[in-house]
Amino acid sequence: MLLNHLNPSIKALTVCIFIVHLAFVFEPMPVFLFLIWTIVATFIFGNVNWKKYVLYFLPFFIFAFGMLWTTIAFADTSEHTNEVINLLGLTVPLDSFLVALALSLRILNVAALSLMFIFTTNTVDFILSLIQQLKLPPKIAYGVLAGYRFLPLMKDEIKIIHAAHQVRGVNQGKSLKDKFSQYKRFAIPLLASAIRKAERTAVAMESKGFTGDRNRTFYRQFFVTKRDFVLPGILLLGFWGAWFL
Amino acid sequence: MNNWRFKEIVVLSALSVVFGVVYLAFLPLGGVLVGFFGPIGYDFIFGIWFIVSIIAAYIIRKPGAAFLSETIAAMVEVLIGNAIGPMLIVVGMIQGIGAEAVFAATRWKNYALWVLMAAGMGSAVTSFIYGYFMSGYAALATEYVVAMFFIRLISGALIAGLLGKALSDSLAKTGVLTSFALGKEYRRKNAS
Repeated sequence: MLLNHLNPSIKALTVCIFIVHLAFVFEPMPVFLFLIWTIVATFIFGNVNWKKYVLYFLPFFIFAFGMLWTTIAFADTSEHTNEVINLLGLTVPLDSFLVALALSLRILNVAALSLMFIFTTNTVDFILSLIQQLKLPPKIAYGVLAGYRFLPLMKDEIKIIHAAHQVRGVNQGKSLKDKFSQYKRFAIPLLASAIRKAERTAVAMESKGFTGDRNRTFYRQFFVTKRDFVLPGILLLGFWGAWFL
Repeated sequence: MNNWRFKEIVVLSALSVVFGVVYLAFLPLGGVLVGFFGPIGYDFIFGIWFIVSIIAAYIIRKPGAAFLSETIAAMVEVLIGNAIGPMLIVVGMIQGIGAEAVFAATRWKNYALWVLMAAGMGSAVTSFIYGYFMSGYAALATEYVVAMFFIRLISGALIAGLLGKALSDSLAKTGVLTSFALGKEYRRKNAS
């Protein structure tokens, strides 16, 4: 599948550029068309699990709805024309409604672009490509990779802390207030163990010769090829098409 | 970057990973608030998204700590998968710059409570400028936007500044920070 094999850095930049462009569009129709285009492109050119995709996408409808009604309710109406429309029995200035619709569609469109990136990109590949293409210092990049590796370990850590509290008979938090103090009891040990692990990892890496030098070799190399510019092309086509239609 | 020890970078990343997860966990809460109150909903809890800048800068006390930690936290959010996508890294950088600017103004020397709170407010300012353009606040009524701005400032000072300091201080008490600036200061204070 095309999208899954593109250079991660170029893909990320492409998505960012189009998100910035969307910020300048205040009309609903182009945003709507581009949204459809983005979703269709994701499924045609990417290998995406559609059930998971829908599950990730749904929450954004709540955000978009919140944006819709507040932008109407708190709109800057000074420059608007006097045209009104009827919305569920309420009269709303037409211009406010159109801008609100555009803003909430924008949220959905940004989400669609992001999901396109997330669902077709391997995380480690992304970091490696950031070092190789975008010149991220290896010292930081490998620090991030090491930190990222702690994530599953922290899940276990939470279980251990939970068990340790239970065995000592600390209350398990039924009411909301107890739950809150429970979080406080968890936060410090969790952070402390994360810091200890990080220190040990850093020492281990340095003792094995990691210097963070830019002149290093890579087992997995990433290159930018002509193929990587197909995605910007596809999206640009959709963006122009949506704009002039 | 050269006066950083590698240990500090990995610890900074570990902190960023923890708070990257926390940040993601707060997104749905923000979403619910937004559903009820509109865009202003985010501003009540916006400070939580600046907290790692304050904690990392307060613990490590080196130029760039606030900026880097916020950027890495954003990167982790992207790696785990979130709504805003790779663009979030830019958001993280912008928030980090706000806090970093305040620490830079004290030449990375002063880490008193008021500086930490000001740093939280610094992030609030830069993130608000970004939000103004990217989220289209321009379409909202002026009074509403001003209210959003002040609530975000307060949230940045209280949640990021105050809570961030409290968390870091209790971490110092556990003794895990002995090889970092905050831990050393803590030991010096207790020895005398």
